[in-house]
Order: sequence, then C-alpha cells, then structure tokens
Amino acid sequence: MMENFILEVREVTKRFGGVIAVDRCSIELAPGKIYGLIGPNGSGKTTLFNCITGLEPRDDGEIRYKGACIDGLKPHQVARRGIGRTFQIIRVFPELTALENLLVATWQPLDVVHRRALELLQLVTLERLQNEYAGNLSYGQQRLLEFARVLMTDPELILLDEPAAGVNRTLLNELLQAIRNLCAQGKTIFIVEHDMKVIMDLSEKIFVLDHGEKIAEGPPGAIQTNEQVMEAYFGR
Amino acid sequence: MTVTITGSMVLQVVISGLLAGALYSMVALGLALIFGVMRVINIAHGTIMMLGAYATFWWFQLLGVNPYLSLLASMPLMFLLGLLLQQTLVTRVVDAPELSSLLLTFGISIALVNLAQLAFTSDLRSVEFLTGAFLLGPIALSKARLISFAFAVAITLLAFWFIQKTKLGKAIRATSQSSEVAMICGINVHRIRLYAFGIASALAGAGGSLVAVIFAIQPEMGQVYTFKSFLVIVLGGAGNYPGALVGGMLLGLVEQLSSLFLTTQLSEAVAYVLLVLVLLLRPTGLLGGRAK
Amino acid sequence: MRRALFAALVAGLGLLALYPMVATGYGIRFMLQLFMWVALAQSWNLISGLTGYVSFGHVAFFGTGAYAAAILITAHGWHWVPASFTGGIAGVVLALIIGYPCLRLKGPYFTIAMLGLNEVMRVLVSYFEGLTGGGLGISLPILYASVEIYYGMGLAAVIVTVVTYLIITSRFGLRLMTIREDEIAAEAMGIDTSRYKLYAFLLSAFIPGVVGGLHARDQGYIEPLSVFPLLTTITMIVMALFGGKGTVWGPVLGAVLLFVFQELVWAQFLYLHQILFGAIIVFVVLLMPRGILGVLQQRYHLPRTI
Repeated sequence: MMENFILEVREVTKRFGGVIAVDRCSIELAPGKIYGLIGPNGSGKTTLFNCITGLEPRDDGEIRYKGACIDGLKPHQVARRGIGRTFQIIRVFPELTALENLLVATWQPLDVVHRRALELLQLVTLERLQNEYAGNLSYGQQRLLEFARVLMTDPELILLDEPAAGVNRTLLNELLQAIRNLCAQGKTIFIVEHDMKVIMDLSEKIFVLDHGEKIAEGPPGAIQTNEQVMEAYFGR
Repeated sequence: MTVTITGSMVLQVVISGLLAGALYSMVALGLALIFGVMRVINIAHGTIMMLGAYATFWWFQLLGVNPYLSLLASMPLMFLLGLLLQQTLVTRVVDAPELSSLLLTFGISIALVNLAQLAFTSDLRSVEFLTGAFLLGPIALSKARLISFAFAVAITLLAFWFIQKTKLGKAIRATSQSSEVAMICGINVHRIRLYAFGIASALAGAGGSLVAVIFAIQPEMGQVYTFKSFLVIVLGGAGNYPGALVGGMLLGLVEQLSSLFLTTQLSEAVAYVLLVLVLLLRPTGLLGGRAK
Repeated sequence: MRRALFAALVAGLGLLALYPMVATGYGIRFMLQLFMWVALAQSWNLISGLTGYVSFGHVAFFGTGAYAAAILITAHGWHWVPASFTGGIAGVVLALIIGYPCLRLKGPYFTIAMLGLNEVMRVLVSYFEGLTGGGLGISLPILYASVEIYYGMGLAAVIVTVVTYLIITSRFGLRLMTIREDEIAAEAMGIDTSRYKLYAFLLSAFIPGVVGGLHARDQGYIEPLSVFPLLTTITMIVMALFGGKGTVWGPVLGAVLLFVFQELVWAQFLYLHQILFGAIIVFVVLLMPRGILGVLQQRYHLPRTI
C-alpha cells in the first residue's frame, strides 16, 4: 500500500553508553491524524522525540520527513522544515515576556508576527499576561505558552511531549479542542502523554514503547486490551 | 642553531618531566576535586598553593623547621583555610552560573595575593635547604626535585587511596557523578563540598611547600599553577580523578620535552596552546570524562 | 517623559563634547580612560550579557587591537585613526578564527578556553619578536593627542552603547537572549544558535580592538603584560555586572561608579586598592549578581532599555 507518510522512523536505535534508549524503533505517521506515544517511564519516548528533532544524533536507522531524509540535520534546521515540538520539562524563556517568547519564532515582518502572536495568546487565554515575564507565570500557564509558541512557526508535524501535565481541567478541554482543530486543519500531531484518558480520547492510533522497543501499535481500543502493554505497565 | 640531541639528554628531560609532573598531578587533583564535586572553577587554587609555600618558608626562616616536615603543618593549615573559604563564600555560588564562581574565586585570589604582597613584600624568597644533585651516569637529578617528587607521589597516592577506598571518598565520587542522586542517597552534599574544598586546598598547600624548596617564591607565583591545573583537568576530563594524575604527568613530560626542541618562550606557550587545542578537539578530555 | 530623557541625553553628550575646552590635562585623561572602560564593559555585555556565553578572555581583542595599531603606526607610519580602526578589524578577525570552534563549547569549557586563548595571544605576541618587539614591547613616536583620543574613546563608547540599544530593542537581540535563556528551546524554534552566537561574538570584538589601538597611541608604549592582563577582563566584567548586564545602561553605570572609585583609592594605596577590589568583586557576585539596574528592572518591571 503506497501511502505518503509525513514521518517515517525506520529501525532507529540510540544508545547512551551501555544503555539502549531506543531499540530498532519503526514508526510511520500518515498526515492529518493524531497519534499517541505511550509507555512506562524510561521507555525512550522523549529520546525518540529528540532523535526525530535532531537534538540527539541517532546511532542507527533512518528518519524521513515528507520523504526526505532528515538524519544529521541540526535542530533548528529540522524546525525550519516544519517540525515543531514542546518539551517534557517546560522550556519557556523566563526573562522574556510571554509575547516576546512568541515573537522570536518566525521570520516574517514584525507586524504580521505580532498579530499572529496575539491571536495565539488569545487561543490559550494568556492574552492579558502578554507583558508578564514568562518566568513569573504559573506552571500551567507556561505549558500553554509553550503550546502557543510551537504554533508560531506553523509547523505541519507537531510533537507534543506531555502537553497536559499540570494544566487544570477547564483549560485542558480547551487545549484538547485546539489540538483537534489543528488536526482538522491538516496538521499531524504526535503526542506523548501519561494521562491515559487524554490519549485514548484524542488519538487515532497509538504506539507503545517499552525499554526502547516498540511493543504494540494500533487503535486505542486494541491497545487497551493488549496483554503486552499491560505487562509493561503493571509488571511481569 | 643546531644542537645534537643525545639519548641522555632525552632521558634527562623525560625524568625532569616526570619529576615536575608529579607535582602538577598533586595540585591538579585538588582542582579536579573542586571542579568535579561542585563544578566550580577555582581561580584561587594557585593562590592557596602560594600561601602554603610561604608557610613553609616562614617556618624554615624563623624556626628552622625542615621544610618537608612543615608539610605536617602547612597541609592542615590550608585544609582549614579551604573549609573557611568554602563555608563562608564558595558555597553560595555552587549552584549559580559559572560566572559567579569564577569571579568570586578571582576576587578571593586577588585579595589574598595582595594581602601577601603587603605582608611579605614581593621580594623573591627561597628555602635553601637541599642543594646539589645526585649523579646517575650522565643524568643529574636535583636533590630537591627528587625528594619533592617523592613526597608528591606519596601524598597523591594517599589522596587517591582515600578517594577510592574510604567511605568519605566514595561519597565524594558519588557527588561528583550527580549531586542530586547523592542527596537522595542520604549523602550530606554540603559537608562533602566542604571536605572537597578543604582537601583540595591541602593538596595545593602541599604543592606550595614542595615547590618552595625548588624555586624562588613570590606572591604572584600561583597563577601559572592554576592555569596548568586547568590544563590537567581538561586533559584528563572533568570528574575523572585518575585522569588528573595522568594529565599531570603528561603535562610535565610535554613541557620538558618541548623545552628541548623549542625556545623557552614557545615552550611556555605549549601549555596554553595545548589547553585550547584539547578543549576544541576533545572537550571531554583525552581520557574522557563527562561532557557536561 | 521619553522626550525629556532623550533631550537630557543629548545635552549630556553635548557637555561631554565641550568639556576638553575647559578641562585640565588630568581631567581629560580621566574621562578618556572612563570612556575606554565604558566601551569595554559594554562590548563584553554584547556577548556575555545577551547570550550568556561568558567571555573570560575578552581582553585578548583589546591586546590584539593594541598591537595591530602599534605595529601599523611604528613600522608603517600610519596615522593613529586608521590604525585604531584596523585594530578593531584585527579583533574581529581573531574572533572569527576562534569564535567558530570555541562557541561550540558549553559553559565552563568556553570560559576556560577563552582564558587560555588570552594567554596564548600574550605568549604568541612575545614570541614573534621581529614583529612585536617581544617582551620589550613597542614604543610609539611621541605625540600629544590626548584631546583627540578623548573624542576617539568617547565615540567608541557612544557607538557601542547605541549598537547595544539597537540590538536589545530588535528581534535579533531577542533571539540572542533566547540563547541565554534556553539554547535547546531556541534551536527548537528554528533559531540557528551557532550563527547568532558568532555574530554577537564578532560584534563584541570590534570595539575592544579599536579601543586597544587608541590606548596604544595614548600610552605611547605597550608590552605583552600591559595589554593582555586577566585583570582587565575581570574589571570590565565586574563593571558590567555591577551596573547590570543585559541592560543598555548597566555597563555604563557600572563603569562610571567603579572607575571613579578606583581613581579615588588607587592613587593612594596600590595593594589596599587591589584588596578592596577583590572584596568588591566578592560583594557584587554574592549580593547583587543582577547588578543595580538588573534589580531595578525586575522590581519595577522596567524595560530592558534602561
């Protein structure tokens, strides 16, 4: 079946000294869908994201974005190609204001960027805090800011690393709706999450990692009843 | 200028290199401890060495104490000074950006050096204790250097045994790997840092005492040793204590060998050029340490 | 409010421009050196205050500029104005050569490398005796040009401050600051941090080179130890820190306050002065690492352009 995948991860392996963080992992993402990536702590999810975005060089395997090989590209080059990501540990720019955090991200004329930044701040309900230093925002607000920031570059593939952590329930629903809207606009979303309800609700397909290996993939229903997955989470 | 380089010249130089190298290793081990445990770049390290040298000088000058015996006094004295500096000042910048610890230790250094200049004047002093050399065939071994070498080796091995085998030493190594994990394991990281700085200062002080017998001393003598200690830990890799030992010997050898083939001015540059080159090409050290 | 401040600024500059007409020789030399320190502290701020990459060997550019200018003046008969300008170019060239490899180093390694670099430059300069006079240094032909150099240094200080203002208020400056805040996140935003760091580094090397050249002309004599001392790097860093790094006026404020203090105490007691300076460094680092303006900025939510 000849499908045009937006992201192809083929047999990617990443070692840290003697530890194999990602073990011959292969993943294919079709455009315009929401995918989930789950697995117990330490299963290599963030490392996989790091390999895809060029933050960590992979030791083996190949990564293709829209058909083109992106191995060995530096993170900023990967970002420019259209892959955006958020981080597990929040990485806002604390001594820049919320607005400035967004302004750095694109290379269009300032007024265009400014307008877009304000729109996105509205989207995540942070508009009234635009001149507040990002470091002074609450944890949940910083998460939302990071989410807005990743959208500034209008990426086609968005990697979200635990976007729901620490966000209160009301805002969370708006966040989830925003994610669904993005998908409706044709973007591809790949989410790492520990909140099972969120992941099962959002994703069309879920990949499961354990000790760096992909142990299962499939629609939420199948994953929920998969024995291997339950073993990985609840022990052998 | 063509000079035929004979085998015995090379041997002489190699031995000189090893003799000097042991001193470098010992002093650098101290700096490595501080950098490994706290990620602090201690610019005052050479200054503490200078104080140890002066301690030995004054004991010799005023009380006639055998300089090698004065190690028993100068090392504990510098250990205490190290504890004091750590407790009052350095501890406040351990988790701050590097700039803070750099500037702080520089401030301490400049204050101490100038206090020394006020107190001791900048006249050159020397401890005339051991003169002359042992002759082994064509090789001349300066007595002072040889005995200092012996002490340096002994102290370094002692320090090394301490780090590898004792409980406190293991705690130091654990904290060097990761202070957060060490804390979780119940290690009193604050106390470990105190000891690390104290031990490092004792090692520096010992270096000063041993050097006082060989070279003339003056208040600004420490700076060059600080730089060379930097080089040693860069060569050996940060947090890599055996690496510091090897790095020190390597530096001693390279310096002496280069004095054979290059002019004195250039051989002075060798240490610095080596520092920059190693940093650019292999920042984790020739023997590999932690990259961060 | 802003108009009033701007007018005050212009008036102040006007006064400074007219000062040589009424000043004593000592007064001119005092101000000339003050301008030099403002220029140095501000240049350091451009790389280290904005990107967070602490350049601990910045005096290397100063020394390189001094020697470049001195050689051009003595061996090739250049006038000191183009010679100093070329000193600035020499600084930039040096920054280009070492910047690309050094800026890849992280944190403490970058700092140690810059420290080592400064020493390498000093020793290299001593070595190439034929060119630089080695340890004996270079003596320039006698020329009384204090007033002209006053304007030269003043111009350098003004230029670098204006450049700092322009950068801090631009998106280029914001991007430099993201490198300081979180380099990984900056890369993930598509910012080529290597390139930006290099630009900032090159920019920060020019004025020290120029000022080094002016200094050489002013002093009439330079030697390796006088133009590559670690103390100069530390002084410019402490000045920038004390006033507030990452701001526009912080380095200016810090340079003014510390230089005035130095002049008052140094003349009397050399060693005491150094000891006090060491104590000041400790004080600034422990108690006000953000500097005066940095603290005010945070407390009263002032813009960065103060």
